[in-house]
Amino acid sequence: MFQGPGPSPQLVLAAPLFRSSRLRIGTPDRRRRAMESRKPPSSALVDNHVVPGDAVLDLTEMTNQTIKLGAGLRQDCDTIQATGAGRLRLSKPNKYWVESSQKRYVPSVEDTVLGVVVDTKPDNFLVDIKGPNLAFLPVLAFEGGTRRNIPKFEIGTLIYARVVKANSIMNPELSCVDATGKAAEFGQLKDGYMFDTSTGLSRMLLSSPTCPVLEALGKKLSFEIAAGLNGRVWVNAPSPSNVIVVSNAIIKSESLSGIGQRSMVESLLERLS
Amino acid sequence: MDQRWRPTVNERDFIERALQSDLRVDGRRPFDFRRLKILFGREDGSAEVQLGDTRVMGYVTAQLVQPYKDRPNEGTLAIFTEFSPMADPAFEPGRPGESAIELGRVVDRGLRESRAVDMESLCVVAGKHVWSVRVDLHILDNGGNLIDAANIAVLAALSTFRRPECTVGGEDGQQVTVHDPEVRDPLPLTIHHLPIAVTFAYFGEGNIMVIDPTYKEEAVMGGRMTATINSNGDVCAIQKSGGEGVMSSVIMQCLRIASVKASDITSKIKNEVNSYTSAKALQKVKRLPASVPRKDNIPDAAMKESTDGALEMQSAKASSDVQQIIKGDEDHQNIKRNSSLTVDRTAKHKQTSKFIGGPSNWDPYSKGISLSSLRISKLPEPPSVVKDNKQEDVEPMLTECNPEAKSESRLSAGESNETQEAISPKSLRDAVKPKHKRKKKQPNKS
Repeated sequence: MFQGPGPSPQLVLAAPLFRSSRLRIGTPDRRRRAMESRKPPSSALVDNHVVPGDAVLDLTEMTNQTIKLGAGLRQDCDTIQATGAGRLRLSKPNKYWVESSQKRYVPSVEDTVLGVVVDTKPDNFLVDIKGPNLAFLPVLAFEGGTRRNIPKFEIGTLIYARVVKANSIMNPELSCVDATGKAAEFGQLKDGYMFDTSTGLSRMLLSSPTCPVLEALGKKLSFEIAAGLNGRVWVNAPSPSNVIVVSNAIIKSESLSGIGQRSMVESLLERLS
Repeated sequence: MDQRWRPTVNERDFIERALQSDLRVDGRRPFDFRRLKILFGREDGSAEVQLGDTRVMGYVTAQLVQPYKDRPNEGTLAIFTEFSPMADPAFEPGRPGESAIELGRVVDRGLRESRAVDMESLCVVAGKHVWSVRVDLHILDNGGNLIDAANIAVLAALSTFRRPECTVGGEDGQQVTVHDPEVRDPLPLTIHHLPIAVTFAYFGEGNIMVIDPTYKEEAVMGGRMTATINSNGDVCAIQKSGGEGVMSSVIMQCLRIASVKASDITSKIKNEVNSYTSAKALQKVKRLPASVPRKDNIPDAAMKESTDGALEMQSAKASSDVQQIIKGDEDHQNIKRNSSLTVDRTAKHKQTSKFIGGPSNWDPYSKGISLSSLRISKLPEPPSVVKDNKQEDVEPMLTECNPEAKSESRLSAGESNETQEAISPKSLRDAVKPKHKRKKKQPNKS
């Protein structure tokens, strides 16, 4: 390892942390940990746009600190460089990653996604999750799943699942139970309407506090949505017109600010009533 | 294929359920078209149409070929489609698939069977040389309803296409000279009417139909029918490609709706084409004259009824006044090389256009043109500013045909427009052009 001036943080691989299934913070593909931690390092570029090649952090000015790098960052001698384009995010105390929004999805572990069944095999369902490969959903990965009560999904069924295994070589693997073995809202989604969005928009829909467009819609209409981190959103409401209003409002809110979203929703609802 | 988009059961059920209450997923009503936008490229004959998410580009070219043996005095029109994989992952490069061939056939049939484009005017030498017009359609983005968008693109491109002018000459009358567009204005095609394709999608056993289906609606629909109708109500073509059967009463209703939509779309296309053509003509005025004499197309635009043949620039001095004036403009461009011709010239031409029934009717002495507005009344001033103005603009024209033209010295005088409004009586001295200057102008004209 390259030794810079001064004590450099010693970097060791660590196990990935558990992530909440609803809120995605970052993909821990490489972790490094130091012996002791001190005051966390800060970068001037946090919450700004970065492009590949930008030096995000200078390690020489930090001593014996833990830095956790997520997606889109890598260490280059003394600096941390961005390898993807997007916004740099920091989660206190020391987690950095680059957040970008695309139409395609790169599967990563512990993401919750919406998949469409395209084929059934004896052992797995083949599910399309908008990634480079089809994903496998084992027929037994359901709550109380045994060989006797395999669910019957026809082609075109919409499934809410979480990603269990994902790497660039193999097909990803899904599961419809959470880590403790309970169903926890995973499984088939019935009725409603599904549409495609970018990954950034689905992350915004899942963020907490509730994103402005959902809040504004929720004040007047009753509906339920399921947002998958792979850029798919499912909406259901008692009347078709509500579903149409909600889906169009969400699609249009991608590039609007909070205030813009609220005013867009207001004008949309006014026109209806 | 792995990456193909597949509709889910939920979408299929929802789209049909929403249509029961006359709702479409993108908020339209069943018989609404999506927003139509027509953009033109830099060259004549290229148009891009955006119908909602669907984008199609049409590009027209023409070539002199030998005609078919059974139609020796007609040109040919051919449509080629290219379904680029960037439009839809389901499109494969290489040989056109079934839907590509169907689209090409439907668009071609709408134009050919209804004789929308005049083929006989494309004949140059019967049996030997005719113009073969080729339209290339590129699908840029498949958002549903490619046939309608492609049809509009073809019509917009054909309406703005200009083919080179050619003359037949030589000893045996068989030699064809194709003139460069810089030398002679290219000619538009003769289009009798615009056949518009309107596509209907059927759902739920043929009793629900919508116009202009989107990508998802196309994946879920039961059947499709395209009716090509023009604004006069003539049915040019109908295509129903498989799917559920529909009753004849439903088809008649569709044709009635289609003819209403067709007149809407026809007027939109015509407006866009007209604004593009006039913008392009205006641009030619504003352009800086280069060392090569440029044809002045302003009279063409201003006097819409004039034919292109009358505006030959490079021929020897023509007898008609109009041609002299136009040539005068051109000389003026050669001599002056100034940039601010535009406003004045346009204004002047707009003025003259009021009085024109055709080029031969143009009368420089007609009462409508006041001398003051032509600004020929200024005395010569020292050549202070290079800024051009109407005065110089007018001069060469008037020296050709109007004995009251100013002296040459005013050609070099630069004055602002505003100061020239004052009228002062002209003397005969103004009218007489010094002989040496007249000779100097002549070589420039040829």
